[in-house]
Amino acid sequence: MTEEKKPEERKKRRTATEAASRIGPMVKAMVGEVMQAKEEKKPIAYSFICCCYDEIIRAMDIVPHWVENYAGICGAKRDAQRFLERAEAENFSRSLCTYALCGLGFDAWREELGEMPPESPWGGQVRPTMMLGSGQMLCDPRNKWFQAAQHYMPDIPVYDLGLPWPPYESDYDYRQVQDYYVKYIVEELKGLVQFLEKHTGKKMDWERLNQLVELTDKTWNLIWETYELRRAVPSPMGTGDAMNTMVPIVFMMGTQQAYDFFQDLNKELKQKIANKEGEVPDEKYRLLWGGGLPAWFALGDFNYFNSKGAVFPVETTYRMIEAIYNFDMDLTKVTDPLEHIAWRWVKFWTYWHDRARKRPGSHPDVERLIKYFEDYKIDGIVMHEAFSCRSWHPGLIWQLNLLKKVYRDIPSLVLESDIVDISSYNEADTRARIDAFIDTLEAVKR
Amino acid sequence: MSQYFAGVDIGSTMTKVVIMNQAVLASVIGPTGPEHRKLANRVMEEALEKAKLPFDDITYVVATGYGRINVPFADKQITEISCHARGAAYLLPEARTVIDIGGQDSKGIKLKDGRAVDFVMNDKCAAGTGRFLEVAAEELGVKLEDMGKLSLAAKNAVRISNTCTVFATQEVVTKLSEGAALPDIIAGLHEAIATRVYGMLRRLKIEREVALTGGGAKNIGLVKALEAKLGFAVLVPPEPLLTGAIGAALLGGDIVKEAEEKGTPLPRAERRLQEATLFT
Repeated sequence: MTEEKKPEERKKRRTATEAASRIGPMVKAMVGEVMQAKEEKKPIAYSFICCCYDEIIRAMDIVPHWVENYAGICGAKRDAQRFLERAEAENFSRSLCTYALCGLGFDAWREELGEMPPESPWGGQVRPTMMLGSGQMLCDPRNKWFQAAQHYMPDIPVYDLGLPWPPYESDYDYRQVQDYYVKYIVEELKGLVQFLEKHTGKKMDWERLNQLVELTDKTWNLIWETYELRRAVPSPMGTGDAMNTMVPIVFMMGTQQAYDFFQDLNKELKQKIANKEGEVPDEKYRLLWGGGLPAWFALGDFNYFNSKGAVFPVETTYRMIEAIYNFDMDLTKVTDPLEHIAWRWVKFWTYWHDRARKRPGSHPDVERLIKYFEDYKIDGIVMHEAFSCRSWHPGLIWQLNLLKKVYRDIPSLVLESDIVDISSYNEADTRARIDAFIDTLEAVKR
Repeated sequence: MSQYFAGVDIGSTMTKVVIMNQAVLASVIGPTGPEHRKLANRVMEEALEKAKLPFDDITYVVATGYGRINVPFADKQITEISCHARGAAYLLPEARTVIDIGGQDSKGIKLKDGRAVDFVMNDKCAAGTGRFLEVAAEELGVKLEDMGKLSLAAKNAVRISNTCTVFATQEVVTKLSEGAALPDIIAGLHEAIATRVYGMLRRLKIEREVALTGGGAKNIGLVKALEAKLGFAVLVPPEPLLTGAIGAALLGGDIVKEAEEKGTPLPRAERRLQEATLFT
């Protein structure tokens, strides 16, 4: 049976930083903690990254089970296909998000068996106590996934959190409407706290929440400062590593572990810069990973870029932080933790709005690319178009075209495959494209 | 003493070899077999015979195309994007954009100072490539090389709505059974490819003049369909299949010149057209 097939695991990707090499065991431990929580009958919540509720659930001792992460693990271990096929057999369309398909296929199979599917990667995705959606302007599966998962787990409650932000308008200052957005988000978060209190039988510890919110702010600042170190020539760390160091950013926010990790990385990068130690010995081309989630089963492609002397000092993917002190308001003065979270969210998503309004025809997403281009001395841009993503990825080509229109023509490469579905990927073709791209970079440099 | 350069372009369906000094001295085009290295050996031999040159006289050999890594006697492998760009810029200096429609992929290349500065590529799907026409030709019982001329007699091109080659073939069968005229069906197929290629090209800022290369450029029906999409005429080199091989040979010349100017040593492969197998 196809479902029983278990492919060989890929060799571990080589990382440039010692910190990034510690991430694999950290993720494994994180998945292990969920298993442990299940045994200890602690509440477990299916969670999404970039959700605004990191500190809230941690303040209530609810253990997050990051479903996108689990699908990514299956993809990285090249063991997602059997879960995708299972979802397809349940009549979910193959054109849906493959994170969602992998998770739904896994859930359907686990619920049917009454136990984990055979040889589930790292023990499997456990049956949760609750599922916390948070979609709205990010992507539709983040609203619909858990509703669909309820087909297999009708007894598991879902809370669907709406997290809007003022959309960009070139002739309109978002500050005129930002208060409404913050108010709306605060109400949504209040509803979430009530939901969690109801389903855990435990009251929110507001003081603890305050502390965690403060810790998150501190961590955001530290991450921003650490990633800015990568501007150095040669750059000490690339996007390949950042696809590891995203773990504390998106799965561990509001924990001391995340802060400590970035302190270590910060020290390591400073040391590498002092030693003039780049990600590659002979840095020739500096590239911007301009968007798209990576093909988790093909992270070795970053090493392939490295073998050509190409490095990625910066990326937009998973850099889901800004320095809090760079916002146009003093967030430390917002003492209510839910309001604080809401303001942080709105300020993050509107951070590039003002720059965009200054350049006719531009857009915040494009301004971010331009700023990185200049700050990090970039030679070319690479994007990854994952076919199964219908929200962010289709807009990438538009961003690229707009960048070339409002800024300048720059060498670009669009890789095509998926986040999880390996059938979309051809290593030989991908590397032929990378070779050709390197040729164009060389031609432009001449 | 004259210097001679060889370009070997092993595409998915055709293998092309040129030998150049100041101009093309000899060229050979033959079908690509399953064992590229053996075929490369043979076509190179044929090209040398045509040029009346011993292999030792070839200063530098550059291989390109999908099978480029399978050419044991090549001094260097260079991607087909760079080779097509160099070849097109040499053959048609006024070209700023190159469209190459090959057997297995299609690509668009932006040129600046004779070099590729940006490109797009479709290698994921047979639609938009020569393979699409090959499959359809077989289904229609028509020779591939006749399709272009046949389509010029079309009065009302049919619309092929499927972008998948396999399903499009079924659609062709249905259209035939509905009584559609052969030229109208073939014109519809050309239109479908042109639409696909044009969609891909929109990622590049298309700048005139546009050169069309590869096997697709030999199909007059496809050329017309593409021109209709672009809204202007394209330039086609005298032998569009050789563009990549010519570019490879020229790049070989550039490499040698640069090495001589800098006084840097240039490693070369052994000048022996040995037989090789894929699995040694």
